[in-house]
Amino acid sequence: MPGGKKAESEEAVAKKKYSRRDFLVAGGTVAAVDALIATTPAKAALPAASPAPAEVSYPESKGYLVYDSKKCAGCTTCMLACSLTHHGVQSLSLSRIQIMQDSFGKFPNDLQMAPCRQCVVPVCVQNCPTGAAFVDTKNGNVRRIDSSKCIGCKTCIRMCPQQPHRTVWNHIDNKSIKCDLCLETPYWNEKGGPSGKQACVESCPMKAIKFVTQTPDQTETDGYDVNLRNDHWLNLGLVDNSTVVPPAMAQMAKRPMFKPKPKPKQ
Amino acid sequence: MPGGYTGKILRVNLTNKSISQIPTEKYEEFGGGHGIGSAIFFDLVGDQLPFEAFDPRNLIIMMASPFSGTFMPGSGRCEVQGLAPMLYPIEWFGHSNFGGRFTAQLKYAGWDGIVVEGAASEPVWINIVNDKVTIESANGIWGMDTWDTQEEISRRVMPQLKPGEWAELSDSYTTQVPAVVCCGPAGERKSRLGALLHGPGSQAALCGFGGVFGSKNLKAISAIGTGSVPIADPKAFMDARLWFRQFQWDVDNPREPEKFAGRGYSLISGAPSGGNVTNGSLPLIPARAAACASCPRGCRMRLASADSNEAVCAGTMVVSVRGNQKLTRQGNDMMHKLGLGHWQLMPLQGYVNNLAQRGLLGKGKQIDIDLPFDHRGTFGFWEILLRKIAYREEAGNDMAEGCARFAEKYGLLKEDLSKGVIRLTYWGTQEHYDTQTEVEWGFGSLFGERDLMLHMMANYPLHWMAQSGNPYLTAEEASKLYTDAMVPYNGDPYMIDYGDGPTGIYSDSKIKQVAWVKHYEKFWIGAGGFCGWRWPMCITNNTADRRGPTPHAEPRFWNAVTGKKGTFADYMELGHKIYTLDRAIWNLQGRHRDMEVFPDYIYDQKGRGSILPMVVDGKWTYATGAGRTLDRAKVEDFKTRFYKFEGWNPENSYPTRATLEKMGMKKVADVMQSKGKLG
Repeated sequence: MPGGKKAESEEAVAKKKYSRRDFLVAGGTVAAVDALIATTPAKAALPAASPAPAEVSYPESKGYLVYDSKKCAGCTTCMLACSLTHHGVQSLSLSRIQIMQDSFGKFPNDLQMAPCRQCVVPVCVQNCPTGAAFVDTKNGNVRRIDSSKCIGCKTCIRMCPQQPHRTVWNHIDNKSIKCDLCLETPYWNEKGGPSGKQACVESCPMKAIKFVTQTPDQTETDGYDVNLRNDHWLNLGLVDNSTVVPPAMAQMAKRPMFKPKPKPKQ
Repeated sequence: MPGGYTGKILRVNLTNKSISQIPTEKYEEFGGGHGIGSAIFFDLVGDQLPFEAFDPRNLIIMMASPFSGTFMPGSGRCEVQGLAPMLYPIEWFGHSNFGGRFTAQLKYAGWDGIVVEGAASEPVWINIVNDKVTIESANGIWGMDTWDTQEEISRRVMPQLKPGEWAELSDSYTTQVPAVVCCGPAGERKSRLGALLHGPGSQAALCGFGGVFGSKNLKAISAIGTGSVPIADPKAFMDARLWFRQFQWDVDNPREPEKFAGRGYSLISGAPSGGNVTNGSLPLIPARAAACASCPRGCRMRLASADSNEAVCAGTMVVSVRGNQKLTRQGNDMMHKLGLGHWQLMPLQGYVNNLAQRGLLGKGKQIDIDLPFDHRGTFGFWEILLRKIAYREEAGNDMAEGCARFAEKYGLLKEDLSKGVIRLTYWGTQEHYDTQTEVEWGFGSLFGERDLMLHMMANYPLHWMAQSGNPYLTAEEASKLYTDAMVPYNGDPYMIDYGDGPTGIYSDSKIKQVAWVKHYEKFWIGAGGFCGWRWPMCITNNTADRRGPTPHAEPRFWNAVTGKKGTFADYMELGHKIYTLDRAIWNLQGRHRDMEVFPDYIYDQKGRGSILPMVVDGKWTYATGAGRTLDRAKVEDFKTRFYKFEGWNPENSYPTRATLEKMGMKKVADVMQSKGKLG
């Protein structure tokens, strides 16, 4: 057969679809990236956010989700709102925010909230071999995954430094998904994204999730776990320290019925 | 299948260890939850009735609803049905339910419910991981308390699970832990007090289904899934959920906090955490509000001390350790661990003390049990008492038969019940609120099979609003607003007249209220999986006009999830249908109108009263009705008119063929006729 392998034109190479297997059988991220670079001609331009050297900086996201894990009641409404607006179904496994809890545990370690951090250094974007994970510069620099480019290699899932990983496996489509601050929510009548609304923020009955534009502290895991409680919360009797006296209880203590009885005279 | 359903119901036969499916579609007309459960029960064993609760033919039916696993507010309950060993004098086909996340996980695993039949030859538990269902040996688990059981089963189901990480379940993933429901040592010993426990403090406390688990050698059921609940109209569902926010307690900026703030008001306002009554004095134990799946209220708590976690109300207060909240929390935890149902333990422990004071109970006494009464009210006393009941030691063996049967064994029941020494007012379950005044609770229980246990019907929004001393509506305003929501009987304010005048407790208006309560109970609470601490919401302090989401929210959410187009009235009529089916089952068990009578003390002794809206001397006011007794003849007349209203024969309370066929239940009518029970 004339030409053999050489007959594969540069154009054909450029159009080659890389299957999930191409990456998985290569045995990991580095091998997969190498394979992609080695077989991709220069003119078949990779997406702007293709694998890049670690020193490449990315524009910071213009929006973040911060949360108060002591205020969360674990109802999972945020998770279900996330899966509903993005996928049209209600599913904890398809939610891009995860709430984990231990019914038998001790407050505050009985519950963990895990939304995507929109990292300043987005490891998922850095390591995605196809450019499916990218910084959306047209939409507030949100770190997103373009599902049409995702080949399901799970690199972003393996590379996410958070525990649990904030890139989520969609087992229906065999692709990775992640929080896009509700930019792409086909099952919601509201506009999402950094300049719009977020389903988890809007639906949380405890108002334990908040959208902010200021970049949270990246050096500490707790940088996103903030105090969103005010005196109204304390007045429910929900304190995080036994020395705290809710204002309403302090006020009640001033009423006569709560005044200590005078000591009987000796 | 329409949205909300997974399409299949799990059927497990423990006798022959077979596992099969029932297509949900076959029972879709009954909505879900209680409705489908009743229909399945009738189909599988209705023509074999009567038989006993511990007979292997008895079923344990645990049904989810189309709302289960969704963010429908306050729909996280699991309905449990079957013949109920707690109930007296006949083990009526009963229902109990518990909160948490069991039905959510069941739905994510792909099941609309579970039907368990037969009895295993050795202790087992049922393991549901998505589509894979296995019957596992309970070797090493049987004998454990309910907490250890759940921990051990979680470990066996998902040994790969590490807290805070994703775990793989056949190429899909979850961060969640298995949802386990189990019986404790009490249930293993077929105690009629036996509760089902899910989590540390969520009980299915009524009916004694823990004992039925024990009779089947069934220790637990575990469910975990990674699937989805389909939604017919996702956009409409999301819009509805956000619309509903106006009816919730605004945690950051509540309406009129000076009036409604504080945990004491949370019963009415829906403010978080108020269900745990053992962490309200200084110094407070650090805690969070802990919600059941999908609940915007979060009435439970999880504490830094991890005691009384997720328990509420009676689950935090029945075991009362004198002057010590910490030991009270731990005492109630002990009750949960042993799997003792709090709502039966409450009258029983009071009766034990009463009998001891009468010299009838104690070491060497007629009722022989060694209890340290010198230390009554201490943790130590409670521990000894609870263990003797749970493990059936000494006279604890008789107590495990439930309060009514315990009293009956010693020849005390008739007189003590008649005099109100024990207030087992409704089929062996404890009187809850003043039957002579809060009559829809009394009638609703009497015309049911156990304590109504539905606080949001009128008890919280009306009684406790007034009880607060600062009601946000006048009695007249309340009568109008509240009854405006009571479709299809709306427009009759006297439905909530609790006076004893012509428009009051024996009136045709009251008949409509009782019917409304029962129909709402059967469809929205029962078939919809609603929480009785959240629904219905006819009025609320959280809106400017004080109108609640009922009756608009229920069909709006239901239709968005399922794709159906019913009205609130349509679904209430389905509730009527389910109630009539339950009535038919009770009739097949032996229920007759002559049995539906209150104990004598309700007619002969003056009630303590319960502050509620009443018409007194022609004017609406809040009054207590204290000192009232019910009139036997008027109650009997009320029954006659109520049965007619529901389409049942007033002579015997049996549903008529015309009623059953109009409801599409011809086969029920045929079975009733074959048994001589057709009205």
